[in-house]
Parts: sequence; C-alpha cells; structure tokens
Amino acid sequence: MKRKLIVLLLTAAMVASMAACGGNEDGGKKETSKSSEETSNKLTFSWWGNQVRNERTSQILDMYSEKNPGVTFDGQFSEWSDYWNKLATASAGHTLPDIVQMDLQYYDQYVKNDLLLDLTPYIEDGTLNLEDADESILEAAKIDGKTYAVCNGVNAPALLYNKTELEKAGIEVKDGMTMDEFVELSKEIQEKTGLRTNIGYHHETLPEYWLRAKDLAFFGQGKLGVNSAQDLQTIFDLEEQAVKEGWHVDPSVFTEITIGSAEQDPMIYGSSAGSMSWCMFAYSNQLAAVQEAAPEGVEIGITTWPTDDLEKSNYLKPSQFFAVTSDCKNPEEAVKVLDYITNSVECNEVLLGERGVPISKSVADVITPKLDETNQKIITYVNDVVTPTCSTISPVAPKGASEVFDLLKNLEEQVLYGQITAKEAAVRLFEEGNVFIASGQE
Amino acid sequence: MKNRKPMTLRQKLNTESVAGVICTMPFIIGFLMFMVVPMGISLYYSFCNYDILSAPVWTGIDNYVKMFTDDPKFWKSIGVTFYFALVSVPLRLIFALIVAMILVKSSKASAFYRAVYYLPSIIGGSVAVAILWKRMFAADGVINKILAVFGFPADFSWLGSTKTAIWTLIILAIWQFGSSMLIFLSALKQIPSELYEASDVDGANKFKKFFKITLPLLTPTIFFNLVMQMINGFLAFTQCFIITQGKPLDSTLFYTVYTYFQSFKFYNTGYGAALAWVMLLLIGLITLILFATKRFWVYDEGN
Amino acid sequence: MTKGTKCMKKKRTERKIIYHILVAIFGLIMIYPLVWMIMSSFKETGTIFTTAGRLIPETFTLENYINGWKGFAGIGFGTFFKNSLFISIVATIGTVFSSSIVAYGLARCKFRGKRILIVAMLLSMMLPAQVLMIPQYLWYQKLGWVNSYLPLIIPYCFAIQGFFTYLMMNFIQGIPRELDEAAKIDGCSYYGIFRRIIFPLMVPVLITSGIFSFMWRWDDFLSALLYINDSAKYPVSLALKLFSDPGSSSDYGAMFAMATLSILPIILIFIFLQKYIVEGISTSGLKG
Repeated sequence: MKRKLIVLLLTAAMVASMAACGGNEDGGKKETSKSSEETSNKLTFSWWGNQVRNERTSQILDMYSEKNPGVTFDGQFSEWSDYWNKLATASAGHTLPDIVQMDLQYYDQYVKNDLLLDLTPYIEDGTLNLEDADESILEAAKIDGKTYAVCNGVNAPALLYNKTELEKAGIEVKDGMTMDEFVELSKEIQEKTGLRTNIGYHHETLPEYWLRAKDLAFFGQGKLGVNSAQDLQTIFDLEEQAVKEGWHVDPSVFTEITIGSAEQDPMIYGSSAGSMSWCMFAYSNQLAAVQEAAPEGVEIGITTWPTDDLEKSNYLKPSQFFAVTSDCKNPEEAVKVLDYITNSVECNEVLLGERGVPISKSVADVITPKLDETNQKIITYVNDVVTPTCSTISPVAPKGASEVFDLLKNLEEQVLYGQITAKEAAVRLFEEGNVFIASGQE
Repeated sequence: MKNRKPMTLRQKLNTESVAGVICTMPFIIGFLMFMVVPMGISLYYSFCNYDILSAPVWTGIDNYVKMFTDDPKFWKSIGVTFYFALVSVPLRLIFALIVAMILVKSSKASAFYRAVYYLPSIIGGSVAVAILWKRMFAADGVINKILAVFGFPADFSWLGSTKTAIWTLIILAIWQFGSSMLIFLSALKQIPSELYEASDVDGANKFKKFFKITLPLLTPTIFFNLVMQMINGFLAFTQCFIITQGKPLDSTLFYTVYTYFQSFKFYNTGYGAALAWVMLLLIGLITLILFATKRFWVYDEGN
Repeated sequence: MTKGTKCMKKKRTERKIIYHILVAIFGLIMIYPLVWMIMSSFKETGTIFTTAGRLIPETFTLENYINGWKGFAGIGFGTFFKNSLFISIVATIGTVFSSSIVAYGLARCKFRGKRILIVAMLLSMMLPAQVLMIPQYLWYQKLGWVNSYLPLIIPYCFAIQGFFTYLMMNFIQGIPRELDEAAKIDGCSYYGIFRRIIFPLMVPVLITSGIFSFMWRWDDFLSALLYINDSAKYPVSLALKLFSDPGSSSDYGAMFAMATLSILPIILIFIFLQKYIVEGISTSGLKG
C-alpha cells in the first residue's frame, strides 16, 4: 500500500515537473521576446552593496521612472566578489547590464577592452553635466584624456582610531602626522593603554601613498614605478620594526578574522590586548560602518595616514563610479540617468551620500545638514582636511596589479611572521612585481 | 541467420543492447548537450592566454610549461591538497561508517540522533560556519578553553600557525560526514537480515558478524564512497575559501582555490583552465588506481 | 524469571544508558555550531562578535528576523523562498528520475559504449564548477537560456550529476538478478522490469538522492548568480549573501536569522523522509 502510494506520488511529481519545465520554457522565451521589444526603454542597472544601498538605489530608480514615463529599470544587486564574477562572465557573452557600478581596481581593464562607453561626447554636449564637480576627482576617471565613468562619491585615505580609549590615556592625535611621529605615537599608546598597532596589513595602496611623498609612483609604464627595491622597503621596514619592538598586533589575528569586515577589525574586536589595535588604515567612507560596529560609548576619530609630505601623498579618491557599457542599446537614456544621479538634489536626498560625498558641490551643500553626525564628520574631513592639502590621485592600476597586490600581502605576511627580512621582501616585490606588470601588458 | 524472421520493432526495442542505449539516453543527450561543449571550451582556453574581458589568444602549451617550471604556488597547493584529501577522506569515511553502524537500529531515539548527526552537513559552507570556525579555533576560542580545563596551555592560535591551520579545515571536513553516513545507512539496511539470522544459528559473535557479513557486503558502498569522497576531497573548495583563503603563508591554499584566484582574481582564466585540467588528470589517475584495486577487495554480487 | 535474566536485563539497561549518554554528548558537539548560529540570530546584530564566546544572548530580540524578512528593495524574503522551492523541487525530481533510469541501463544492460559512458560520468565530476562557469555561460547564452531558470533546472533532468547515477547503479547492482530473470520469464520487457521491479525497490536510494539533490540545489548560488538577472527571481542562497558587504557594513544578525530559516526546509525534508531510507522496503521485497 505504502509502496504504491510512493510510486503514485513520484509519478505525479514527474508529470508535474515536466509540465513545470515546459511552462518555464515558455516563460523564458516570452521574456526574451518581450525584452527585445522593450530594449529601448528598459535599462538594466547593476551594483554591489548592502541592504541600505539596495533600498536607496532601487528607490531612486523608481523615482526616475516616475519622472520619465516609459523608462523602466531592472535593478540587479550582488555581493562584492559575486558582482565581479558576474560582470566578467557577462562581458564574455557581451550581455553586460546597461549601467554598471565600477571600481577603480577594475576600471582600466574594462576600458582597455572597450567594454565601457566613452562619455566624453555626452559631457561636451551637456547631457551629462559635470561642471559642479572638483576637477581633480574628474581627472581620476580619465584614461588617455577620455572619460568612461562618473564618480558617484568622493573618498579619501583616512586613519581611523579609537578616540575614546586614547583620550582616557590623555593622548591626542593630530592631522598630518609624519612617519616618525606615527612610530612614536604607537609606542606611547602601547605603553599607556596596551593597545598595539595594525600597520595596514592588507591595505594595498599604502606603499603607493608613501611613494608619492618621494615623487614616485607604484605603477609605471609596463613595470613598477620605482627604480630600486629600496624604494619599496618603507612598509616592510615599519612592520619589521613594529614586530621586533612588540607594538604590532600579533599577525595570527589576521587569520582569525574576515579582513575588511568592520565588525571584525582588530580596532573593534579583539580577544586580548595583544590582538587589538588603536587604529585602522581605511578610507573616509568606512568611518560610518566602523562607528556603527564599535561598542557603545566608543567614539572613532578620523585623521590622515602618516606621511612625510602630506600634500604630495594625500589625494581625493572616487569611491566608486557609474559607467554605461558598450552593450547598452540606449546610451542616450543611460547617460541621462547618470546625470540624474550626479546633479539631482531630490535623488541625492534619498541616497544621502551612502556611496561617498556627492561630487557636485551644490548637491553636497544641500544634503550635508540632513546627514547624521558621523556622515557629517566624513564630509568635514574630506572637505576641510584633505581637499586643501592633497594632489591628484595616481593613474589607475594596470593589468597585473591584482597579482602584485597579492604578492605584497603575501610578503607582508612573511615579514610579520619573521620569515624574511624587510630587505628581502622589498627585493622580491620589486623583481616579481615587475614581471607581473610586464606580462600583464602582453 | 538469413532464415530468421525479422524482429518486430517491439522485439527490437527489447533487446538488451537497445534497452541499454535507450535507458541511458538521457545521460547521453545531457552529456553531449551540457558537458561536452563547456568542457571542450575550457580545454581550449587552457591553451590560450585568456582574461575573460578580451578574446582568447592561442599560446600552445605555455600555460602548462609555466605551471611546472615557474610557479611555486602550483606545487605548494598540490602538496596542501594531497595532504588534505589523503588525511580527511579516510577519517571521514571511518567516522561515517562507525556512526552509521551505531545509528542503524530503527528506534525513535536513533531517528532523532540521525537527524542530529546529519545537521552539520546541511549548514555546509555557510557564512555562519566560516565565522564560527574562526572563533572556535581563535586564541581565545572554545577549543583552547576546553584544553585549558585539561591543563594544557591555552592561548595557541590554531589558525595562525602554518602547522595547525590545515587541521582546522580537516576537522571541518570530517565534521560534515553526514552524506557518507546516509549512504552507509541505506546500504546497511540493504543487507538481508536472513544472513545475520543464519550466523546467529552458527553462534557468531558481533565482531565475527561484522567482519564476515557486514563488511564484505558493504565493500561496494565503501568503494563508492571512497571514489566520490576522493574526487570531492581533491576538489574541496569551500572550506578553504570561506575560512582561511590560503592563510597563513599559503599553508592552507587548496588547489581549487588557487585555480579560482588565477581565474577570477587575477583574470588569468586561461591559466586557471590549464590548472583545472591538470587536476582532472590527477584525479582521473587516482580514480583509475582505485578501480584497478577494486577486484582485490570489493565484494561482487555477480560471483 | 530467573536471577540470570534479571541480571542480564539490568546489564542491558546499563549499556543502553551509556549508549545514550555517549551518543547524545557527541551529538551535542556535532550540532553546537548550528545551535550557535540559531542563538546568534536572536542576538542584537552589533553584539554577535563581541559575545561570540557565549551561547545565550543577553537579550533576546526578533529584530533580525523582522529586518531580514523585509528582504531587499521591496522584494521580501518570502519571494526568495518561493523561488528556491520551485527550482530545488523541480530540479530534484528531474535528477532523481533521469538518474534512476540511466543507472538501470548501466547496471543491468550490456551494450557497446557502456564503459565510455561510465568514464564520461566520472570525468564530468572531476572539473571544478568554477572552471566551467564561463564556458557554460557562453553556451547557455547561445541557447537563449540566460535570465531564466532553465540553466538551473533542465540539465539536471538529463542525469548530468554522475554522483546520483553512480549511487543508484551501485544500489541496483545489490538487487539480486534472480528477480529480473523471474520477471523476464513472466514476459516482462526490460522497461517493465525497471518499472515494476527495480524502481519500487529503489525507494531508499531515491530518497537519499532526493535529500542530497534538494540540499545541493538549495545551496547552489553560483548558477543563479550567473543566469538570473532579475533580483526578484533570486533564490535564497544568493539572497543570503546580499547581507554582507565587505566594503562597508554587513548585517550578520539578519543573515543568521535568514540562514536559520533557510535550513528549515532541508531539516523538515530530512526528518520526514529519513525513515524511508532506514526502514527501507528492500528486505521485504527481496524475501518475495
């Protein structure tokens, strides 16, 4: 009896599944034919981010649809690494979404492979109005004089620190620390509070920051931008010294956390004094997430990364871009959407600088008072501390850069574990890094 | 032959060879439709310089040459993967078999226990496991606290040491023995109870029954699990990807994770494909060896 | 009742108690991580890390569930569940049926090319999914299947997962051939034998496969990531990942809450079906 019942059930299920498969097939076909009819005014828009961003971005797309009848959106959101896998795969099939969120790290490769639309003509004819934006931030998106993407928020390198804890010990942190001051401060903090220092292990742009002070670049044409291994040694020296003198956080900590996660950063969470840091090398927009993750009653401070020449080292950085892809069937409309996001006050009142400080100054001025305390702190830092003393950002990372960064992190790890000296690390970074960049140019 | 009556279509369809082909037709179609083409393309990529974003460029065997002559991480990850697979797979199977033997009895309690022991496999590679595993093996984690109770020094960072980090992943793999256990369970139930009854008459004890009846009749299942788990073990990805990402110092860098990094982090997708095909050959070879040993220890019902 | 049997009975209960204690303690270790996740889902999301060492939340909150269930951009988590259920159920039924008939063909019939098929079946398991990602995408795009559930379902209806075919093949080989022979004498065709004899006997292995397949489809996010463009069509596995944003803040509380809910269907299916695996109807069939 039981057996019969099961067989019956399974057969029924099989029939149902066939029907379902068939039905689905129809559904799929219908959809493709529908989308080809409507390509002209249906735009796919994809981004990565969290719940808040998904919410706000979908909302502004709806607002745009309302204002421009006939234009509809397919909003696609993914998690960061998923996003890049999906985008790369879609690029192989030439089925990229119409508008994509872009990051500095990948920008160059997408442009070099003609996957993004040249926006220059649209900027010239005024469809995309960028006149209200700071020149240096627009410069960051230019490749060979052409603009392929619009920055959607301004960021700057920022050293976040546990202000509450340091104040208790009577220590004040000032903007524009030199390298020596940073080392002295770190030692003093360890003496007084027991907190150690995390010298930005895994923060791949630190070497570049310090090279800029010496008028050098991390990446050059078809090779690294430095002439000797010596130039690359700064970070390794610092780490070596810190480990030897005992004021660096225990490197095993980095294996126990998810690097990049605000909640698990050694500044926020640690099991013992030896695993906690007083500071975190970050970008200005991360303050919001870190403050959110910090225990109650802990105020997070924000200051510049240490360097011997602040003006040369420091820069404004586009937090992300929006770009129109070359697979887009209706570029005109897509560019209008970018203009809307850049210049519409109404739109930015919804976005509220979640991706970074709006590049349009008039928009930024309007929304600033509407932000919470932390976000206002970010805007103050970017506008009052960084903007007056900074220079243009270095050119975008070339192909092969991600391998160099990976190597850098690996070498830093070895230095922190005391397996190689700072000098050896610098030599290996110089030699192997040059090979990666050179083979990336082939 | 000539004089034989021609078979009707119905009869023809019912010959053994035709029936075999018809029954396996779904797989033949599926394999041709969904596997051959993608596998072929990836094999082609393995001979190319390909970065996804631009068109592949044929470079012959360059990728393979580079792998064997100029890539220390290739050898490192092969070593890690062999160590992981050869240690975790047997342990996992032994574990699964023992637990299956214990829980094979039909009772309310053992039904509950079976669910409990299977649960770890359900949460598989979720973020929760990744976070929890790191916390458990951290310097201040549960593991150290338990060790402290027994008087061992208790501030060791299991994940931070190049010697022990891989073991945290092996333990995770063993912990998720549920699927092998389930297969053993259903195989144990397939053993005809008459056999046990007969040996009861002969007065055999439990151990004798296990080695004379259970184990031989289970060998086909053991073999199946061994082959499948070996393939899985060498292709293990999630444990490393979600927990260590190869750290510290590449001591836990699984081959598949390295392949993934090459393909999607560095966009050396052609090289990644070549890495994958070398792994396919390696696993194929190991499977072949396993199959060659089959006739020495696997019970064959046919004879 | 003699003294001897009494003593034996006592001994037996003692052994039973020891058995239960041992199995239960070990079971506790086994599910500790799961309990941890469920408990964490009731903690305030900011305190999950700082109180990772403690199991019981200081204050129980349902906020994570409320927040998580809201989903993203107006698409509630219920939608993701519906999508996942549809994909997993249909693909599982397809896998189980197609694999069973293929397994029967491979286990019971001799024909040319059979060895090649078995090799193909094993080989198809030996390439990591990540490597096939792009080639598969290009191929499905040619077939016009992108942005539909077809790539997530149809291949599985063609016994493409060698694991299941091999598992069932193994099982069928354990069924005595005498049953086939007897049926053949009664005039059963090869197909009739499958339908009337083998398939009904396969229930335990079909259920086992069903559980695995459902679970794997349920957890699979890679193909959904590549082929589904419309966020409202995302399955749970993909939606769960949206709670984390390595660049800024992640909502671990909501993620754990939804992850807890997402394993419920698998647990229910397992509890409901497992007795068929273990009770099995194979022995009763074999006796006949």
